[in-house]
Amino acid sequence: MSAMTGEPSAAPPPANRALRQFFTAFNTNKTSWVGLVTFAVVALVAVLAPVIATHDPLEQNILDKLQGPSAEFILGTDGFGRDIWSRLVYGARLSLWIGGVSILIAMVVGSLIGMVAGYFGGRLDIAIMQVMDVLLSFPSLILGLMVVAMMGPSVGNLIFAIALTAIPPFARIARAPTVSVKERDYIEACRALGYSHPRIMAVHILPNIFPEILVMGSLWLATAIRVEASLSFIGLGVRPPTPTWGGMIREGFENILDTWWLSMAPSVAILVIVFALNMIGDGLRDFVDPKLKGERGG
Amino acid sequence: MADAPALSVQGLTTEFRIGGRWHAAIRAIDFDLEKNETLALVGESGCGKSITALSILGLIPKAAGRIAAGRILFEGNDLAALDEEHMREIRGDRIAMIFQEPMTSLNPVLTIGFQVAEALRYHRGMGQAEARAHALEILEQVKIPSARQRLDDYPHQFSGGMRQRVMIAMALACKPQILLADEPTTALDVTIQAQVLLLLAELKQLYGMSMIFISHNLGVVATIADRVAVMYAGEIVEIAAVNDLFDRPTHPYTEALLRSIPRVDRTSDTLMAIPGQVPSINRMPQGCRYAPRCGFRQKICEQPPELAPVAGSAPTHQARCWVRAGAAS
Repeated sequence: MSAMTGEPSAAPPPANRALRQFFTAFNTNKTSWVGLVTFAVVALVAVLAPVIATHDPLEQNILDKLQGPSAEFILGTDGFGRDIWSRLVYGARLSLWIGGVSILIAMVVGSLIGMVAGYFGGRLDIAIMQVMDVLLSFPSLILGLMVVAMMGPSVGNLIFAIALTAIPPFARIARAPTVSVKERDYIEACRALGYSHPRIMAVHILPNIFPEILVMGSLWLATAIRVEASLSFIGLGVRPPTPTWGGMIREGFENILDTWWLSMAPSVAILVIVFALNMIGDGLRDFVDPKLKGERGG
Repeated sequence: MADAPALSVQGLTTEFRIGGRWHAAIRAIDFDLEKNETLALVGESGCGKSITALSILGLIPKAAGRIAAGRILFEGNDLAALDEEHMREIRGDRIAMIFQEPMTSLNPVLTIGFQVAEALRYHRGMGQAEARAHALEILEQVKIPSARQRLDDYPHQFSGGMRQRVMIAMALACKPQILLADEPTTALDVTIQAQVLLLLAELKQLYGMSMIFISHNLGVVATIADRVAVMYAGEIVEIAAVNDLFDRPTHPYTEALLRSIPRVDRTSDTLMAIPGQVPSINRMPQGCRYAPRCGFRQKICEQPPELAPVAGSAPTHQARCWVRAGAAS
């Protein structure tokens, strides 16, 4: 319909239109905007960490240790005299990086597994989903803990561990709609046009199920950040001098009765980002549910 | 007509597995599709029309079905024996199919321009811009109004008739030799039906295609077909040039089918329903499959009849009936 109003030759490319449609739907849900803005601010802080941080996050100054919030140290200092605000800002980088990369990997791998299982069906489907169910039966923290404990704590292993725990849910969320979409007449029509299976999956099924995967992605990014913080908290995350939110909570925990703000600042940061991501997820779900379901033709 | 036929189906039998046993959904189907010819497959639901088309394209689901016997000769290849990879090169390129349901046969999340161009990019290896230009050309050929503006529209922005035109454009994109049209007008309004039929006939001429037109609507068949094969319970029961068939319907089923079409110029008293139902696939009668519903049933009908020339009609007119055709007549 929108094409009717535009210039004949200057019809917007489809990606643009999908984006506009997305924002229209997103707009109706105000809390999701709050989430999106909050997330954008945190992401911006992470990117601009070197500019925003007031101190070197690793610089120890024993004379300034365990100070309360002040003009110089906005959120005070920790037991080694390091500036909490600067560590928090740099910690955002690592938290978002680990969460983002691991969820991206899980999204790609999980969706692929789920689509293949759902598309080909039969014994392959049963075998794949059995394996996924076994993985799914472990709580993500326990599975992450096992992997990191076996492979040793490092950013790479952490990402691998979190991705591994997040693959099964993505496989499930991709499989279910694939099973229903592959029965549609237009997939039959694709087969009659001689398209190969990979092509049908990538070009014709994926765009139909992508919104569901995206919703799942935003919700699981929150989980990934939480798991990363939990693993860092119990000492299986990134090694100590590097600032991470989970690690900072742990460091502050030692002096929690005297200087409660040490743990408070990173805790609030985690709370805020998890809330923001859930709000985004809710907004995305609203976009996915009524709009596309109707168009897909039930 | 002296040329080799565009497609020759010989003794095609396709079976499905039901409860662990294989049952023939279509049995010993024989027909030649000449170049530039339109052959109509007619029959009620479940008689095997669509299965015949899907067998030709090799789209019978492998888990539950198989081509058990017969040959499908096309350009020197036996499609029934061809592997999936070569089959894919033929599908959509040299043999294309259009489906009954235009409302659901287009992908809702892709633009129609993309969907038409995709066949060209896949089979012809065209670049994006070239395929798009060709897609536009084809959409204009199928008479989509202001096709240029509508290239980037999505299927839900089109009406049923327009979507069927897009389907036709997709099928014709690679200029196939054979078009399988599976009830392409059934889901459309009557006025739109006529337009689409006209369009198909016109494009068939333009592209020099042969067409297998599947329908249960004998009125539609009379307008578009050169020859008609009437199918019943998985068999061809009568095959003839369209005029011969309408002049001298020979098989009792064909006759009954013609009598069960409502006509404006007759009262509803003359409308006859065919009693009974098509026998289910796993409970086929031993002899003539139509015998249980037939008013002309005789003792000999317990033997399976063969297709035999109809006495007093053109030599190409054949019917599968002991009583009306062949030796007994």
